[in-house]
Amino acid sequence: MRAMDSIFSNYRPVRMILLFNLLAFTLLFLFEERYDQKILLSGLIVMALIYLSFTIIKWRTWGDEYLFLIVSMLASIGIMMIFRLEVQLGIKQIQWFMGGIVLFFISYIVYQKIRFWDRLTIFYLILSLTLFIITLAFGKKISGATNWVNIGGITLQPSEMIKVIFIFFIASFFKNRGSIKIPNLQIKGKKIKIKDTTVMTLIAYTHMGFLVIQREWGGALLFFLVYFTLLYIFESDLRLLLINAGIAIVGGLLGAKYVYHIQVRISTWLDPWRDISGKGYQITQSLFAIGSGGFFGTGIGLGSPQYIPEAQTDFIFSAICEELGIFGGAAVVLLYFILVYRGMKIAMKVDDTFHKAVALGITIMFGFQTFIIIGGVIKLIPLTGITLPFISYGGSSLTTSFVALGILQAISKNNFEEEEGEI
Amino acid sequence: MFELISTILKYIFIVIIYYFIYGIIRLIYLDISTTSYTGKKISGKYPYLKLINQREKLKFKVDESYVLDGDKTIGRTPKNEIFIQDPFLSGEHAGIAIDHGICYIFDMGSKNGTFVNDEKISKKRHELTNGDAIHLGQLNFLYVESME
Amino acid sequence: MNQNKRVIHILVVMSVLFLSIIGYLSYFELFMKEDIITNNFNKRQTEYARETLRGSIYDRDGEILAASEGEIQNQKRVYPFENLYSQVIGYNSVIYGNSLLESVYNQELIGKNALSSILDIKDQLSGDDKKGNNLLLTIDHDLQKKASELLGDRKGAVVAIDPKTGEILAMVSKPDYDPNSSNLEENWSKLVESQDSPFLPRAIQGIYVPGSTYKIVTSVAAYENGLVKEGYDDQGSVVIDGKFISNFGEKAYGKIDFSKALAVSSNAVFAQTGVDLGFENLKEVALQFGFNKKLPFDLSVKKSSFPYTSMKKTDMAAVGIGQGSLQVTPLHMAMITASLANDGTMMEPYLVKGISTSKGKVIYSKKPSVFLTVTDKSTADQVTGMMIKVVEEGTGTRARISGINVAGKTGTAENELTSSQGDKEHAWFVGFAPAEDPQIAIAVILEYSGSTGGKTAAPIAKEIMEAYLK
Repeated sequence: MRAMDSIFSNYRPVRMILLFNLLAFTLLFLFEERYDQKILLSGLIVMALIYLSFTIIKWRTWGDEYLFLIVSMLASIGIMMIFRLEVQLGIKQIQWFMGGIVLFFISYIVYQKIRFWDRLTIFYLILSLTLFIITLAFGKKISGATNWVNIGGITLQPSEMIKVIFIFFIASFFKNRGSIKIPNLQIKGKKIKIKDTTVMTLIAYTHMGFLVIQREWGGALLFFLVYFTLLYIFESDLRLLLINAGIAIVGGLLGAKYVYHIQVRISTWLDPWRDISGKGYQITQSLFAIGSGGFFGTGIGLGSPQYIPEAQTDFIFSAICEELGIFGGAAVVLLYFILVYRGMKIAMKVDDTFHKAVALGITIMFGFQTFIIIGGVIKLIPLTGITLPFISYGGSSLTTSFVALGILQAISKNNFEEEEGEI
Repeated sequence: MFELISTILKYIFIVIIYYFIYGIIRLIYLDISTTSYTGKKISGKYPYLKLINQREKLKFKVDESYVLDGDKTIGRTPKNEIFIQDPFLSGEHAGIAIDHGICYIFDMGSKNGTFVNDEKISKKRHELTNGDAIHLGQLNFLYVESME
Repeated sequence: MNQNKRVIHILVVMSVLFLSIIGYLSYFELFMKEDIITNNFNKRQTEYARETLRGSIYDRDGEILAASEGEIQNQKRVYPFENLYSQVIGYNSVIYGNSLLESVYNQELIGKNALSSILDIKDQLSGDDKKGNNLLLTIDHDLQKKASELLGDRKGAVVAIDPKTGEILAMVSKPDYDPNSSNLEENWSKLVESQDSPFLPRAIQGIYVPGSTYKIVTSVAAYENGLVKEGYDDQGSVVIDGKFISNFGEKAYGKIDFSKALAVSSNAVFAQTGVDLGFENLKEVALQFGFNKKLPFDLSVKKSSFPYTSMKKTDMAAVGIGQGSLQVTPLHMAMITASLANDGTMMEPYLVKGISTSKGKVIYSKKPSVFLTVTDKSTADQVTGMMIKVVEEGTGTRARISGINVAGKTGTAENELTSSQGDKEHAWFVGFAPAEDPQIAIAVILEYSGSTGGKTAAPIAKEIMEAYLK
């Protein structure tokens, strides 16, 4: 009996997730007197999927157990909200969730098996630039940003994938510092030495430049923050850091002064009430929703998140705040925080520069992405459209996040040394 | 009716999420406190368990040695002072007691048993002497007495 | 390891970012949301309103001033006294939304505030119909009716306050309108376009030159600064920096004391007192009495203003007699009067004294609280003595009530129209009674009446005070 007891005590968090889903789907079943068995079935699938995946990770000791649990809780909250907003989207999201978990395991295994990730620097560069060019050439415009590509009936957001590739690129760069040979420029017979950091800086800003052309301001900001943070951690040259900070400040100021779209975002952030039916519509509707929720929310199905534009994607946090209250919203923020904490802890235990940088890059990406979008919808910072990882509706975002999580999971296992014979 | 259920559930949802967060933080905390404990240097003052297995072949984290500077329990749950996620260990597998400078080991009702020099021991205390081979789960330890 | 140290820096940055989100959310919830969710663009409001029967509004004795009738989905807002409360309660219309109390207390009236949502669970269990909460006002219905009748068709405002608590006993603004939906919807465009601005609640949103009523404030300043002289020689006018300031009708009163000067409303004496006080003292006393301050009230009140950053002597003279660029709302003028009645303590004015659920459980009750201390008791008593003289033997004799000591001050305020059209002065009267133990303080203004406060405003104040004290 005591053995049983201890097994369960170790499983408490996963039981909480299952209980949460059980109650959530029962409620969704009753909501608007739908009584649709599909909803209960969906609930069972989600619960089974989470339990099974967790059991695999735990018993095969595939590294850190908490990452997956935290993310499962986030995804459960997201699925519940999306289901409540629109059943059809909810069912689709569960399909993405299943796909995401499969990709999570695949990327875990692939990342573990392949040992030459850090030697593909040029490949990452070519891959991400190709993806950017494809987006520009064949991209569709959806809600202001040209970032969707239609391939055989499936719309994809390549910039979501580029995020991970970009992190790999930077990580492999830091790992191979010194061994990367850059040919010297010859101008009028003078040899000009080009520093490797200069090249990397240029490449990083090229990435951001592409995002700016696509009008993905949030994406550009996220890329910069990830790049700058990694630079801060791995680059000892203070001057380079200052130069980059300078570029960002100057670029930001110029943008705020001369780029119409940025001006609009800043002015609606400062005073959304002036053009409440136009440019300020989204953010004010979001604030109405958060305000109406109060501390404990209206309860699932009792609020009016249908008034929030894009409630299932960018503004899902507002919908959560309306129906689960500020306490619910703060809980979501806390979940992201422990995810970030866990990610950094994993990164700190790894010695290899490449793996460390990848783990950090992924963690930082999750963290900043969360801050940018939540800060935006609550009017703490100017609003830029970006998805809330693991919660927002959308295949590209959810699957990419799970791929990134799989990689982080693989790094958390931290057994790279054995095959390299370091022990 | 739905309104009533949903109104009650909204509090329950929040309790569940926060309880979940509490659970995770607690586990993470226990994780840190156990790893920092096992990270202690062997000072030579206390007896210790030395791992004989090749660490790399095990699919879970385990330290090279565990210092026995007081009473300890060994098991798979974080509640134990020596906490190793070997699936063949029981939640609370075995215990170490130190009494007047003598070190004892005893089983705590484990499923797969605890062995000293290939002999299965019971829940009664079994005195350890230098060089005893201890086997539990997939793990093999050597009992090393203090240098003094 | 240096890198891990930097990772910890980043972790700290992340913690700060995430904490700032939680902090901002809490701040938003506690301090900002009230203003935001009552915005007309929040479609949830009409949705909630459709789910509950809107609460009623009562006067201090339980008279129904506004109530909703019919089925929840098809309810109708009824104002039994039609125009009488249009400038206090406002309207609640499906088409035009809400105004005044109906707007400010919308959440309470539809039962959606934080307090009652917890109580709701019990109601939901018992399966009761959803009803909003009721507002209990401080208004005395009989007094309100009286004040409205006395103003008649004249434009202006009356505000009556209990000086000891700050309760608003009556608040009338004219012109007004019928807020009952059928009438409102029929007359809407006419009302919106009307030159008389019938939607303007003059008592709280109208700003007027205070005129001679402000001399009570000047008197307080004179006493506080020890500038009251034994005697004055009133020549009927003074010349300040070349500007000629004369008494009403250019009457010279000769040798008088300060108290007599107030009783006859001598511009010559008070203009000189204004100059004697100087900019700093004039400004200080105005701020002491709440000028340039947002008044705490259930409804939004325009700020009274003392706009000077420096003053010429002519400005000081003008302010001394309540002219110049001074502007004041009738509510504020009533509060100034009430503060002298209340020994120099200005109470926070309020209209809603309680909120109760549909079952009668009181979930909120307002406690009187002090807003400002404007002067000390002895100065207040001295000025009160002067104000009694105004009513007994001065310009305010028409406010006399037999058997009761009334303290008051008249005002005939020149304004932007008097210079061009003449005979367009605002007629003011402020006062309180009984002077020994004040129960009611009042401010009456008839805008652009072209007559003196003593002649037209004082009799209105008298009737109201008499009706209240009987």
